Formats: sequence, structure tokens, C-alpha cells
Amino acid sequence: MNSTIALPDYRDQSPEVSARFARLHQRPVALEVSGLTKHFRTPRGTVTALDDVSFSVHKRELLSVIGPSGCGKSTLVRILAGLETPSAGLLRVYGEPVSGPGPDRGMVFQGYTLFPWLTVKENVMFGPCMSGTSSFAASSEAREWIELVGLSKFENSYPHQLSGGMKQRVAIARALANQPRVLFMDEPFGALDAQTRCQMQSYLLEIWKNVDITIVFITHDLDEAVFLSDRILVLDANPGRVREIVEVPVPRPRDPEQLFNPSFMAVRQHIDRLIHPPGQGHKEAPVLRLAVADPDVV
Amino acid sequence: MTRPGILKNWFVIRRDLPPARRLALTCASFLFPLALWSFVSYVPWIWHPDVKIELSAEREGVTTVFTAGDHVSRAFFPEFVDAVRKENAAVLDSRENGTSASGARRKNQKLLRQLAPLASSHDWLPFAEAQNDAALYGIWRDIATGTKVPSTPPLTPENLQIVRENWKLLSASSSEFSLKLLPDQPLLKLIPQGKPANPIYLPAPDEVITTGLRDFSAEVPTGELTMSDRYKKSLQVIFMGFFWACVVGIPIGILCGVFDFFSKLFEPFVDFFRYMPAPTFSTLLVAVLLAGDAPKIALVFIGTVFQMVLVISKTTRLLDPSLLEAAQTLGAKPRQMVTHVVIPGILPNLYNDLRILLGWAWTWLVIAELIGVKSGLTEFIETQGRFRNFDRVFPIIILIGVTGFVMDQVLSALHGVLFPWSGNNGAPSQGIPRWARSTLRAITSRTTSNSVTPS
Repeated sequence: MNSTIALPDYRDQSPEVSARFARLHQRPVALEVSGLTKHFRTPRGTVTALDDVSFSVHKRELLSVIGPSGCGKSTLVRILAGLETPSAGLLRVYGEPVSGPGPDRGMVFQGYTLFPWLTVKENVMFGPCMSGTSSFAASSEAREWIELVGLSKFENSYPHQLSGGMKQRVAIARALANQPRVLFMDEPFGALDAQTRCQMQSYLLEIWKNVDITIVFITHDLDEAVFLSDRILVLDANPGRVREIVEVPVPRPRDPEQLFNPSFMAVRQHIDRLIHPPGQGHKEAPVLRLAVADPDVV
Repeated sequence: MTRPGILKNWFVIRRDLPPARRLALTCASFLFPLALWSFVSYVPWIWHPDVKIELSAEREGVTTVFTAGDHVSRAFFPEFVDAVRKENAAVLDSRENGTSASGARRKNQKLLRQLAPLASSHDWLPFAEAQNDAALYGIWRDIATGTKVPSTPPLTPENLQIVRENWKLLSASSSEFSLKLLPDQPLLKLIPQGKPANPIYLPAPDEVITTGLRDFSAEVPTGELTMSDRYKKSLQVIFMGFFWACVVGIPIGILCGVFDFFSKLFEPFVDFFRYMPAPTFSTLLVAVLLAGDAPKIALVFIGTVFQMVLVISKTTRLLDPSLLEAAQTLGAKPRQMVTHVVIPGILPNLYNDLRILLGWAWTWLVIAELIGVKSGLTEFIETQGRFRNFDRVFPIIILIGVTGFVMDQVLSALHGVLFPWSGNNGAPSQGIPRWARSTLRAITSRTTSNSVTPS
């Protein structure tokens, strides 16, 4: 089926959007990744998960990383957070080379990873307490973060008493309470149902608006990436390489109504074609012996 | 044909039964074995392979003497009875022919004592005075004249007849006992009587209960241990052994689970050592630690600690690694990850492991109490078992079982109280009534909310 609606070029930016991007590029670089390569040794030989990945993220930017499954998105974010070591390449946060995990880079996992033996507030207090903040100070700070994610009523609940969306909000509050300079989010809303996911996306933008934080957001959901991001990094699979870094020409503040905005659809279509090139993956199903011919079902 | 509702839906694959049915089945799981035990014990000849002799007799020329309380096989008993009847027939024959033997005075004295067990079971005669012939002589008279009627067990009509026959002869010579005045010709022997009985190794429930109650309430001579002393002693050995095993085993287990260094350093040897059965060290332990409780505690320790290291290191490894990663990204240092993530994270599973290991410690207890100077409950079992007093052994076995079971149920109920956050991966605590569980939960939720609220 051909798309009958004529869409603008995804590179077309309204003056206000292009002015915003110009200002964004002037900001200091929060995260600089250069030549990141990761090989895995398997019994069948060496597999290259990431090959010479380089990009930079500016202060208070929200960058999404998207790509087909198995393109090494998760490996990338795990290396960035310091949970895995790269085979080659360098990682700088505000110009300082970093290796290994540290409180300057926060992480929100898909699987929530809340500490089940701690209440919501104690979970949020965890990071500050580790760095030696007194528990009284950490507690009052934690209250503010919990209020920010709208869970004040649940500060003494245990994680198992919360829904998936609430757990992820706690996880975000916990990561932010540590005041990292960059926040990595690894498909944070992947385990949530569609409606909750939409809500959480709006929540995230609200929080981001109020907090001085640079976000690198890993996702496989195209709409989510376009809705949230300033720029989208598209990864190729096998090996994972940077295919293109797309600037999203949709103005801010974002609104779910913009899903039907022509420039939104244009950029969405462009990335979709990058990830799923036309003519690929569309195979005719073989005709089975028991096949039923029905003219209304084609 | 439709089945009534009560018969429906008992067997549904992987579906919980309603609470009432679960309770009924839980009760049945205890009542069924008890019912089976009672059934074989009380319904005559369902199984009863033995006859418990209540009234015995000595036979001419046979050296094996059965006394009341002895068990003989069911097949042999009629043979025994017939032999005594034949002897009585011979006595009667010779009496009729007038060729009655003489010089049977000594034998007759013994014959009078046939009634002693019957007399003591009726409290007509203290058990210790089974050879008080004067008193027995009176009892023969009383039974013959009908003054006393035996009821536990009643005499068979045949035996009652014999008592009367004998009393005729006895009263003819003297109304009071006197060895010299006993008839010189042989009296008739009482025919052996008995009742169906379980083999000696399976006493009936009532025997177990009565002897159990008697043993536990018995006054003992000073210097000897009462049953509750023994019980305390046993508990002390097991808890000391288990305590030291925890002190050593838990830290090593956690270190092995967290650091590959300790895992490779300790676990291969521990894995090897646990295959050497703890009891094989018993003589060594006694030689090193001498008599007393030390070698016993050491045996429980050895039997438990090696398993504990392996089980706990495995539990530690099962902790969700993403929690450790999350802690790392939040800036936790390695030491903090152990103290703030690993230890609190594994506590509920660790608790369950310890519960299971405590059960193992109980099995070592029995062996531990036998080494060196025997002690505790096991010494009692061992001694009474030697005398074949199995009715005194069973209460102790049941006591140990009940102690272990109750302890386990209490600990499992406490699991939910101690770790309210651990959801349903805790222990099954269906054994605890719901009201008890909710009460416990109410108490702890109050205490935790108090302790959590800061300042």
C-alpha cells in the first residue's frame, strides 16, 4: 500500500526549531563517546556488537538510541553506565574520561530493579546514603523527589505493593536523587502496557523540564523515540554502527496531539525506513494444504 | 447420575482447594496414620501376629518359661494351651485310677502363684509380692467362693472350674496357707490365657500414651535425670551445634557467593569434606574434646556447617544480579554492596535455608547423643530399646518429631512477619491458622511502621 499523504522532508525545520537546535549545539558537551567498540568472544568466534560508535550529547539534551533488535542498544548503554568494559573507545562526561560505574551516571533499567526490602522512600534514599549523606538529610531530599514523581502517598510502601508504572517512577526518582550528570534509561517503559507507557512518557518530559539532567534514552519504540527526543541516534545491526543521527523537527513542548503532525510523521517514516528498508522482511506466506480461500480476508 | 457437590472438584490440576477442604485434608493427613495404627492395634486378628500372655503355666519337662506379659506367636499359643490341657487330663486320669502321684507339694506351691499376675492387675496384691503365698492362698479361696470376680482379664469358665476343683482339695487340707499342709497330690494347672497383640515393636496407641505420660511425670531418684532434663539437654546440644555452625557457615557462605576468590578457595574442599559422614569423626571428637557435651556439639556442627556453606553460597548467587548493577550505578562501593544489597537481599531465602538445615541438625542430634557418654533423649531410647520397652521408646520418638515440626511451623510463620516485602517466595505456612497469621502481621506492621518512621 502506498502512503497517499504527501509528507514534508524530515529535514525541514521551522525557524524556531532550527534556532533551538543552534542553541543546543552551543551548550557544553555532557557526554562524548568516541570510537566505542565491543567484541564478544563466543565459542563460534568473535562477535562484534558495537563497531566504532561515536556521538556526543549536549547538556540537557534528550537523545534516543533506536535500532533493530540485536543492534547492541543495550550493550551500548551498559558500557556507558560502566557495567561493561568496551574493547576500545573512550567515554567522557563533561570532558573527563570515565570508566566503571559511578554516581555521575544514573541508570533506569527496564526491570525496575528496586530493592524489594526497602520502602519507596528508602529506595530513593539509597544513592545519597551510599555517598555518605546523613539519613536525615537524605530522607527529606527523598521526599521531594518522591513528590516530583507524584508518589507521596506511597513513600512507606514496599515495591511489591506498587504497579509497574509506579515502580518505574520510583526507579526514576531513585536515579535522580543521586543527582547524576547523565541519566541512561534502558527501555524503561518496555514492560508497561500501552496506556501506562503513554502516561509515563509525558511524566518523563515533565520531570526532565524541572530537573537539570541530560538523558540518553534507549528504546525500540519509534513513536516513543520521536515523541521524547531532541535527536535520535539510529543504530545498524550486526555490527552495531551509527547509521544516522536524526534531528527531530517537532517543536517543544511536546503533546500527544503532535503524533499526527506532518513533520512528526515525516521523521517517523524516515527512521522506519532506515530500520526496516522497504522490500525487506515482507514475505508471502506459503500456501498450506488446509488453506481457506476467503475473498474478504486478503 | 449426578454426583453430590461434596464429591466434586477434589482433583483439579494445579488449582488450590477451598480453605475448608484444605483444612480437612490437613487433618486427615494426621488422622489417617493414627487411624491405621489404631485399626491394626485394636481390631482383633486384623494383623496381630502375637498373643500377649495374661495367665501362664509351666509345663513338665520344658525349660522355656513364659510369664504374663510375654508375647508368643499366634500359631504357637494353641499348642501351648493343648499341652497344659493334656497334663491336666493326665492328672485327672491318675486321680480316677487312684494312682495319683505324690511329692507334688513344691510344684503345687508354684502352681498357686499362677494367679499372681491376675491378682496384681486387680490390685489385690502389690506387684512386688507376687510370691506372697499366704495372700495368694486367700485369693484362690476368694475366687473359688465367688467373693472376688476377676474382670481384667476375666477367667474362662474352664479356668474358673479348675480354680474350684483345686480349692476343694486345698480347703480340705487347710484353710490358711502352710507349705506343709499343701496337698501332696498334683493340683490342676490353670489353662494359659492371652489376648491378641501387636508385635512388641509396635505397641498400641493407648500403651504409648500411658507410658509416655508416666515417664514424663515420673519422679526420679535424685541424681538421675527427669525426662524434661533430658529434653532440655537435647535441645541444648542441637542449638549450640547449630549456633556455632551458623557463626562459621553464614559468613563463609556469603563470601563464597559474592567473591569468586573465596568460592574457589573454600568450596572445593567443603564439597569434599561433606561426603565424609560426620559420625565417622565421633571417636576422634571424643578423644580430642573428651566426654561431656563438647564432642556432641562438635558433631552437630560438623554435620551441618559444610552443607550450610554450600547452600548459602548458592542462595547468595541466586540474588538478582541487576540489583547489584543498580546499586553500582547509584554509587555503591563493593563493601556497601555486600552490606546493603547482598545481605538484606538474601535474608528471606537465607532464613528458609536455615530452617531446612535446622531439620538436618536434628538428625545429627541422635547420633551425637550416642557418642562418648550417652545423654539426653537418645540415651533413654537406647536403654529402653535394649530392654525391648518399645512402648517407652515411641513417646520419645514422637516428642522429637513434634518438636521439629512445631519449630518449623513457627519459623515458617515468622517468615512472613520478618520479611513482609518478600511476597510469596517465602515458606508455605498453611499449617498456621489464619487468625494467628493475621494477628502476627498486625503486631509487626505496627512495630515496623514505628521503626521506619525517622526522627
